[in-house]
Amino acid sequence: MNLTIFLLALFDGIAYAALVFSVAVGLTLIFGVMRILNVAHGSLYAVGAYLTATLTGYALALGFAPLLAFPLMIASAVLVGVLVGGPIEWLLLRRIYNKPEVLQLLVTFAVFMILEDVQRLVWGTQPYFQAAALQALGMVRVFGVNYTVYQLILLPLLALTLLVGLRFFLRHTILGKLILATTEDREAAQSIGINADKVFLVTFIVGAALAGLGGALASPTTSILPGMGADMIVLSFAVVATAGLGQIEGAAFTALLIGLGRSFAVYVWPETAVLVPYLIMLIVLLVRPEGLFGSPTARKI
Amino acid sequence: MSEILLEARNLQISFGGVVAADDVSLAIERGKNLAIIGPNGAGKTTFLNICTGWIKPTRGRVYFEGQDVTPLPPRRIVRLGVARAFQIPQLFTEHTALENLLISAAAREQLGNPLQDLHRIRERAEMLHLLDMVGCADVADRLVVELSEGQRKLVDIAVALALRPKLLLMDEPTSGVASSEKFKVMEILVKALAEAKVTSVFVEHDMGIVSRYADEVAVWAAGRLQMQGSPEEILRHPDVIRDVIGEAV
Repeated sequence: MNLTIFLLALFDGIAYAALVFSVAVGLTLIFGVMRILNVAHGSLYAVGAYLTATLTGYALALGFAPLLAFPLMIASAVLVGVLVGGPIEWLLLRRIYNKPEVLQLLVTFAVFMILEDVQRLVWGTQPYFQAAALQALGMVRVFGVNYTVYQLILLPLLALTLLVGLRFFLRHTILGKLILATTEDREAAQSIGINADKVFLVTFIVGAALAGLGGALASPTTSILPGMGADMIVLSFAVVATAGLGQIEGAAFTALLIGLGRSFAVYVWPETAVLVPYLIMLIVLLVRPEGLFGSPTARKI
Repeated sequence: MSEILLEARNLQISFGGVVAADDVSLAIERGKNLAIIGPNGAGKTTFLNICTGWIKPTRGRVYFEGQDVTPLPPRRIVRLGVARAFQIPQLFTEHTALENLLISAAAREQLGNPLQDLHRIRERAEMLHLLDMVGCADVADRLVVELSEGQRKLVDIAVALALRPKLLLMDEPTSGVASSEKFKVMEILVKALAEAKVTSVFVEHDMGIVSRYADEVAVWAAGRLQMQGSPEEILRHPDVIRDVIGEAV
């Protein structure tokens, strides 16, 4: 393997890991706080991508600068969180927190299926491609390898910001502490007057917005087409499970592990590229069923 | 002059054939410390749970400062000024003692700015003072898991006081505390309550504590309020000696 190939694989892996992490971190946050594995997370990712591509397309058609694509990504993420995530929690999930896990999985899977069809109704089955944001930032040359600034610098930087920001949010801010307190003991939280329903709603909106953000960030780098949500939920679940459910820093590590594993496989042994993330998960879970960073007793976030 | 703070009228509830509250009516005066005594299973805890909104009675009402709070969810009743501290301290064990109070204060203030640093909220000094009042200032920055049972009890009371309640309901505030520590814990507690001007109701099995710290005693048995009066009068009553004190000894 020469240096060029090595660097390409490395950069691909890092960029991909950054995307997967932003989706996976929302999944693990929701699970850590609400103990619900949200299969519909994949759809929220896809809707975020579609929305960003559509809004950016409109903005460009109206003559705005391509840089407007960035605020539109944030806007799409917020819209996904509030308009799609909010109702899911408020109408469905809060009715099933005390129900068996199988039922919870079925409900979020049903939401996933519904949202998949909604995407087909709204955006059709033709792939969308909107790379304005990617092109706006140009290329960078590293040791003779040309790579996009967007993927090599912006995405990892954002992922890192997300990791540090979320950690700070949970450990230091008032709202973060109320979320952790409610996670630890819902009844105790209510007995000091915390509105646990509201805390769960906010958490889910934040988690859903993170999925939307992942989609928004992915949109300039890939074709947006039906089924992308399914791919992403499976992969981000692999990341989350390998790290241990509810482990935020752990998810960053395993996203990198799986991202790099996948990208090196692409260059070295392409036939296995699809398989590698799950092989990593399988091996880890065989040795440590609670995940790399999880503890056997169901510790929360 | 006495003023009724909380009034329960004709409370009724059963759990699977066991009557936990049978036509219970009780008025709690502002500024008093009321002790509730009675054998296990008499419905003492159920009464506290009804007052705090965790259990809804099938019949009867609870009025707090004249307002009917029976249908309200627990968190709304807390906001009106009824706090509780239970047998097993309900603390967030992976946070420090001070953080537990800060979380309580933040919940009370309904988050002005939800992204503010919890450690920098205005109420920090007030919370440190509360910890000092319950004699736990030295463990403010220790995780709750590292505290002794007695310290946890006191921190739990401070967490409840952080809500600035008018009424504090306590289920066996000294249970789990070593008997040599019981009076010390109660002493701190009663002093803190007086300083914060909080009316209290506490379920207690130790008659020494009841006679020393209660202004009034209510006797429970089989879901019914049997009698209510001053500690001198109640603790000398032959029925109480036979049914309640006899069992406690």
